[in-house]
Amino acid sequence: MVNNSESNFMQALAQRGVSRRDFLKFCTFMAGTLALPASMAPKIAQALESAKRPVAVWLEYQDCAADTEAFLRASNPTVATIILELISLNYHETIMAAAGHQAEALLEETVQEGGYLTIVEGSIPTKDNGIYCCVGGRTALDILQEVAANSAAVISVGACAVWGGWPASRPNPTGAKGVSDVIKGVPIINLAGCPMNVVNATGTIVYYLTYGSLPDTDEQGRPLFAHGKRIHDNCERRAHFDAGQYVEAWDDEASRKGWCLYKMGCKGPETYMNCPTVRYNDGTNWPVGAGHGCVGCAEIGFWDNMTPFYKRLPEVPGFGVEVTADKVGLALTGATLAGIGIHAVASTVRNRAGRRHPGEAESAEETTDSEEDVVEREG
Amino acid sequence: MAKIAIDPITRIEGHLRIEAQTDGGMVTDAWSSSTMFRGMELVLQDRDPRDAWVFAQRI
Repeated sequence: MVNNSESNFMQALAQRGVSRRDFLKFCTFMAGTLALPASMAPKIAQALESAKRPVAVWLEYQDCAADTEAFLRASNPTVATIILELISLNYHETIMAAAGHQAEALLEETVQEGGYLTIVEGSIPTKDNGIYCCVGGRTALDILQEVAANSAAVISVGACAVWGGWPASRPNPTGAKGVSDVIKGVPIINLAGCPMNVVNATGTIVYYLTYGSLPDTDEQGRPLFAHGKRIHDNCERRAHFDAGQYVEAWDDEASRKGWCLYKMGCKGPETYMNCPTVRYNDGTNWPVGAGHGCVGCAEIGFWDNMTPFYKRLPEVPGFGVEVTADKVGLALTGATLAGIGIHAVASTVRNRAGRRHPGEAESAEETTDSEEDVVEREG
Repeated sequence: MAKIAIDPITRIEGHLRIEAQTDGGMVTDAWSSSTMFRGMELVLQDRDPRDAWVFAQRI
């Protein structure tokens, strides 16, 4: 049976032009993304080959479909193919062929069977009995509660599903909430970001298939492998922050040189996500790499807490950053100046010593003598 | 005379419901409704105008 499913899976991949070598490369890439040792790659490969295709349903509520786009545009076709081959996506409004009653019947059938993954994109309105989002005549809240209850786990994709996103931001006209605010009793993982990164979604699914559980999370329910590190600490422009080299205006010389965007409002120092390493669009680039500050989209409440986006952090209400970039910059500049000072003094001493040779015969001889002494003693 | 409803309309971005009045296999009247509301215009009020694009591109 295992052999059969193995060969079926590999055959299916081969039909889509994915070789075994591509597949193993993918498994190694996944081990890296999940912060597992490379030696775990064969275990991942074995698990994926023998895993029963997991059934998933994708529910869209108050969303903009950006996470669907991110998922479909897993721009590395190999990764996309492998994942699409792995999952049996029984319900997804944006891409499914069925509509109306037939679509709803597919969802109902899947829910009856149970044990599937529920993927949720978009927030859930709760004001006025949840009438601000209805599908097939039922409210989002009503459907989600029924679908989530029978599922093995819930994956919230994107800021809106994680905590409510911009619909839940001031003044939150529809009482929008995140999945974990309205669903209890089912394991939920929060793939934060606006949109989430498909590499992290893929990693979560691969982890689930390999270990049969969801990866470890932080206190916000986000996977640690993706949200364990601060953007600021892995930023490719970090050296410029440390050196006190800041972009001061869009299109100034510093921005052309790729200096630090902190003073332009970058929220990297308060944001935990792996953007600098995994990037977006098959590792092509990410906001800071493209020259715009981080808006902090992986953090709960960023639309209210991180705005105005172009004001630097200490001026943003709700943040207790004690040391401003200016102070850090000044301290560093001071240290650098002191360093330059010492260096300058040392250079002057050396130069003076050098000048003694032609100008002051005696001292030049002394120097020479002492140098010879050293050589003799060493000899 | 029969009334049919197709909800959800799939393969589109967003939420849509179509109701149609039919008579002898012909549609005689039809209604469409967007079944989701978030209130982008309300959320954008009283914010720094430079931030508007970050919100609005996520409609």
